[in-house]
Amino acid sequence: MTKKSLKNLPYYIFLTAVLFITILPILYTVLASFKSNSEILTSPESLFPKKFTLDNYITALNSESFNVPRMLWNSIYYTVCCVTINMLTSSTAGYVFARGNFPGQKALFAVFSSLMFISLGSITIYPQFEVLDTVGLSGNLWGLIVMKIFGIGIVNIYLVRSYVRTLPAALEESAYIDGCSFIRAFFSIILPLLKPIMATIGILSFQASWNDYLMPTLFTLTRPEQRTLIVGVAALKSSSEAASSWNLMLAGSTIALIPVLFAYGVANKHFVKGLASGAVKG
Amino acid sequence: MMKTSKVKTNKSSAMGINAHKTTQCYLLLIPEIIGLLLFILYPMYWAAQKSWFYYTGIEATQKFVGWQNFIGVFKDTTYWNTWFTTIKFMIYKLPFELPLAMIIALILNKKLKGAGFFRSMYYLPNVISVAIIGLIFSNMFDYFGFVNAWLMKLGLIESEISWLSTTSGAMTVLIIGAIWNTFGVNVMYFIAALSNVPEEMYEAAKLDGAGKLTTFFKITLPMMAPVMQTVILLALNGSLHTSDYILVTTNGAPGGTTFTVMSYIVNQFVPGFAQNSVNLGYGCAMSLITSVIMCLFAIAYMKLSKRMENVY
Repeated sequence: MTKKSLKNLPYYIFLTAVLFITILPILYTVLASFKSNSEILTSPESLFPKKFTLDNYITALNSESFNVPRMLWNSIYYTVCCVTINMLTSSTAGYVFARGNFPGQKALFAVFSSLMFISLGSITIYPQFEVLDTVGLSGNLWGLIVMKIFGIGIVNIYLVRSYVRTLPAALEESAYIDGCSFIRAFFSIILPLLKPIMATIGILSFQASWNDYLMPTLFTLTRPEQRTLIVGVAALKSSSEAASSWNLMLAGSTIALIPVLFAYGVANKHFVKGLASGAVKG
Repeated sequence: MMKTSKVKTNKSSAMGINAHKTTQCYLLLIPEIIGLLLFILYPMYWAAQKSWFYYTGIEATQKFVGWQNFIGVFKDTTYWNTWFTTIKFMIYKLPFELPLAMIIALILNKKLKGAGFFRSMYYLPNVISVAIIGLIFSNMFDYFGFVNAWLMKLGLIESEISWLSTTSGAMTVLIIGAIWNTFGVNVMYFIAALSNVPEEMYEAAKLDGAGKLTTFFKITLPMMAPVMQTVILLALNGSLHTSDYILVTTNGAPGGTTFTVMSYIVNQFVPGFAQNSVNLGYGCAMSLITSVIMCLFAIAYMKLSKRMENVY
């Protein structure tokens, strides 16, 4: 051992200890999902299952009341819709605020930005339902998806806006001379160049919508068959049979964890990029 | 109304094209503008108006009550206690989380082998849904759960601690889970800030014979001040708005003592969580007062932290 690595040893011990605490709850959840319910309750101290069993997954996949395949499907289509919508609306809005020059632009951008801090919270669900009711979509997961079309993803707009600003304006100007319109210039020139930032936005909104809890809960109250996986697992916890359903909850949680952990594994640089943008000002 | 800078960059476009461009800009913003009107401004107007009424969801029984809802909220000790809990949550969480993140960032900044691996692992909990985190932590801290079993095994406690049925126990679990969830984010921010401190400054300090602690407090920390300002703002904002996480982990238990203000409003007035036929007018008044206080917090913090921006 060289002198330098010996000097670094205490650091590594500390970092590893923190690492252990960081992954322990995840590891615990995944491993406990392979325990039988009685083992979860009687020998909580063992991390690894004494008897490895797939029963929880089999039960979860076949249960009527806790219909995992159905919830998984709901999660998938909800997430796919949200990601598509977010990428489309934030890229057009970001482009407009980067390249547009129209009366009211500054004011509109200021209003959109202020929404980060001004919000009345969840009580606004009543008037939002009232609006969606006029098209028969309140209390329906599709209603929430429709609402997302009209959502203002200000952080994503910031991301696109600052990215478009790094592209040379000459790109579109020559197209304008050839008679290309502002909107067409976006779709044929700018959008293809936005791939890197679109990947970041896609990953971030995938994570956000897959993990979404409160809003999908409110929109599926009267339609349990539309529950997403996160909503279903959390609903099981607040139900009366929570104590006897830890095995199902842990199996459900593990299934819900896999896609985000996988996404983070293959694309963690995008998470970091989005994070840096969360701190941008002005 | 054309700006001179725009004229420069857009020499080729004539006035006619600009008018055309304005229409197209607004066309592209249609979804956001409709959303602003229907799903943000109208709901705000609705809530502001309903806060003057006794209203349980049925228009027929609606009754104008004047200031009564607002006066009621100001006298509502349960409500103000949830503010107290929110602040308690914040001041227990941040003093642990931020120094921890800072220490980790300082170590990782030493260019150790594997620093990138540690950094991305620490961020991992942040990609998980808070609903799942609530579930995991309430399972691990169950009376007959993993944590109690290990604390007993290691001889740290004589008998099980009932974490989730006492206020202090439940708060401890909530704070541990919340720190676990977000410390990695702050590690990331701090590492980014540290990499902006010029190497020469450290060398100059070394030449002047400054010790490690002096260097940290006189150079590193002041150089990081602008980032710190943002990090603390985001952390404060996050803690103030904590809601889903509380709803899933404790749902206020025991006896509503762990409700933060946002989770309390959900629990009292939002369908699926609240009881039937609550006075929504009262809920609107409470939401209005809450959001005004939240804004005041943000403004006060920005004012107080102004000098952090220009330390160097």
